[in-house]
Amino acid sequence: MTASSPVRRLFDWKIRGVRWVEIIGAVCVAALLCSVYLVKADAQRETARIAELEAAIAEDSRRVRLLRAEVARLESPARLEALSRSAGLTPVAPNRRMDERALGAVPPVAPAPAPEILP
Amino acid sequence: MTVQPHPRPGPALPRPPSWRRLTALLWWIEHAFERARAAARPEEDSRVRIFLILAVFGVLFTGLAGRAAWSALAAPAAPAGTGQVERQLTRGDLVDRHGRLLATNVIFYGLYVDPAEVWDRDLAYDALRRALPELDRERLRSALDGKRRVLVAGGLTPARRAAAHALALGGVTFEEEDGRVYPLGPSARHVIGVADGWGAGLTGAELAFDAELRAAGVDGSAVALSIDLRIQGVVESELGAVMAETGAKAGVALVTDVHTGEILAMASWPNDGTRNLATSGHYEMGSVLKTFTVAAGVDAGLADMTTLFDASRALAVSKGRSIEDFHAENRIMTLEEVYLHSSNIGTSQLAIQLGPDRMRDYFKRLGLLDAAPMELKESAAPRRPADWSNSTLASLSFGYAIMITPAQMIAATGALANGGLYVPLSLRKGGAGVEGRRIVASATSLAILDLMRRNVVRGTGGKADAPGLRVGGKTGSANKWTGTEWNTNGVGSFAAVFPADGPLDAPRYAVFVLIDEPAKGSSLGGAVAAPPVGRIVDRIAPILGVERRADRWRTADGRPTPTLADLERDPG
Repeated sequence: MTASSPVRRLFDWKIRGVRWVEIIGAVCVAALLCSVYLVKADAQRETARIAELEAAIAEDSRRVRLLRAEVARLESPARLEALSRSAGLTPVAPNRRMDERALGAVPPVAPAPAPEILP
Repeated sequence: MTVQPHPRPGPALPRPPSWRRLTALLWWIEHAFERARAAARPEEDSRVRIFLILAVFGVLFTGLAGRAAWSALAAPAAPAGTGQVERQLTRGDLVDRHGRLLATNVIFYGLYVDPAEVWDRDLAYDALRRALPELDRERLRSALDGKRRVLVAGGLTPARRAAAHALALGGVTFEEEDGRVYPLGPSARHVIGVADGWGAGLTGAELAFDAELRAAGVDGSAVALSIDLRIQGVVESELGAVMAETGAKAGVALVTDVHTGEILAMASWPNDGTRNLATSGHYEMGSVLKTFTVAAGVDAGLADMTTLFDASRALAVSKGRSIEDFHAENRIMTLEEVYLHSSNIGTSQLAIQLGPDRMRDYFKRLGLLDAAPMELKESAAPRRPADWSNSTLASLSFGYAIMITPAQMIAATGALANGGLYVPLSLRKGGAGVEGRRIVASATSLAILDLMRRNVVRGTGGKADAPGLRVGGKTGSANKWTGTEWNTNGVGSFAAVFPADGPLDAPRYAVFVLIDEPAKGSSLGGAVAAPPVGRIVDRIAPILGVERRADRWRTADGRPTPTLADLERDPG
């Protein structure tokens, strides 16, 4: 090979019989492998975390459903009516109901008398 | 050196050629050292063996390394969760028109016992009985004394499960089970219905909306019914009060929106979840059907409110059968008076004038000859008359000779109160979404509304009035044929609409109450069914946003509107 070029010399540069270029290549490949491994491991951790959160959400949803059912039971009209009747409550008589538009007809409350000033 | 062949041990049994070749190969490897020594190249023996070992382990570790590298670098990542949460429900929620829960699925737990892992069976028995007193004793004992893992109890709530789990008993485990619950208990039970343990609807809305509930279970949504839980509560309360007061055999109460056909409340007594009498109970309902006879006569142009009918004597409709009045006036009456006095003679005359074809046509249009069209599968077909003779027409005119369901009754009443359109009943929020079918003219509808209101103010339905809510309606009282005789303690009913005044497209609601065989007091509709109608209207009007107002007969607080004569007599 005539007039070996610097590139050629660099290509032929060996350390303990192994080309430097090959060593660099191997290191690059190893670095790539490591980075891919780390990224995948991180993704797996995230996946596991998502699965944990979804399991927690599912558990909370179950509890919410149970609580909603309990609320519905406690607020059932039959139960509320029984409670109100046991407390002596009855429906308001028609003559005790008033539309808010009729409130203007209610006579104003007389002002309280001025406090007596003692000598 | 002579090489002696190594004696070949081996059975005399015949072997397949492949097995023989493999055996030969193994022996060839085994005797490689001898052959190498015989050939004066003992060093080759070690090399061969080392090479073989290296090759085997090399291939093995290369495979392992390749698989590990593929798993670490190239294997597809596990899916990041399911992307869905709590979507595996068998059925979606059932809610009322305002989103209040009627039925839902929750996770229960089944308690299993594996006797092989129970250390002290008597101790486990006592501990479980203390923690869960509701456990079946015999079942628990047989499970503990058995030989395999069995289910001891299902439907444990998380709290009950925690109580049993806290015992830390070996061999006691739990499995999740998806269960349907009805938090309202007996309330609205006939409407909601039930689903079986495998998530299939069996009755009521659970069956009627089965496909929609399954779809809702997939996407986590809910199916909304037309029922208003507050109105349902009022209706059940008032019906229950009447049933307790009268000791009646059965009862039905319904509330609908006459414009959309939506069922706002549906109650059936007994409320043990057996039979929904509102949709499948057949009754000869009596005079409530006079509304339909009068509507047919007016709509056909045969009569108006001033048309006269001779009710001064019994009406002979066939050989040996005469029609008489229960509230006999024994005089000539206008059609309005016929309705207000509930004259059988007057309506019979009108029905006979209409004739079989027109009567059948109007009854058909009013939906009285077919099952009420609605989502509930329990909606039953009526028992129709066998013939349409004059005698039958007379019976039909005042509610005999045909057995209809309360659902048919309220649908037909609503059709006369909404301007004359038959709108199918619906349990779906917003109604069935079908166009109403015209059955009578708008003018007829207005006339009937006015007549029904007059009947409450001046006729037999006075106890159904609610202050300021302009209730109109018709009483119905019918004897029951027992097979051998007429039972006079029969059916009392009341079909009402409110408010009966205002334009035809104004909000309007129909209420129907039927009491079957009251044991105490009168069985007349005006006495037994009208009062609960009045109380129901009074209580649900604020929920429906119906304002109390005066009309030409009553003030807003229910007092009679003063007439000119009253004002002249008033000394003040």
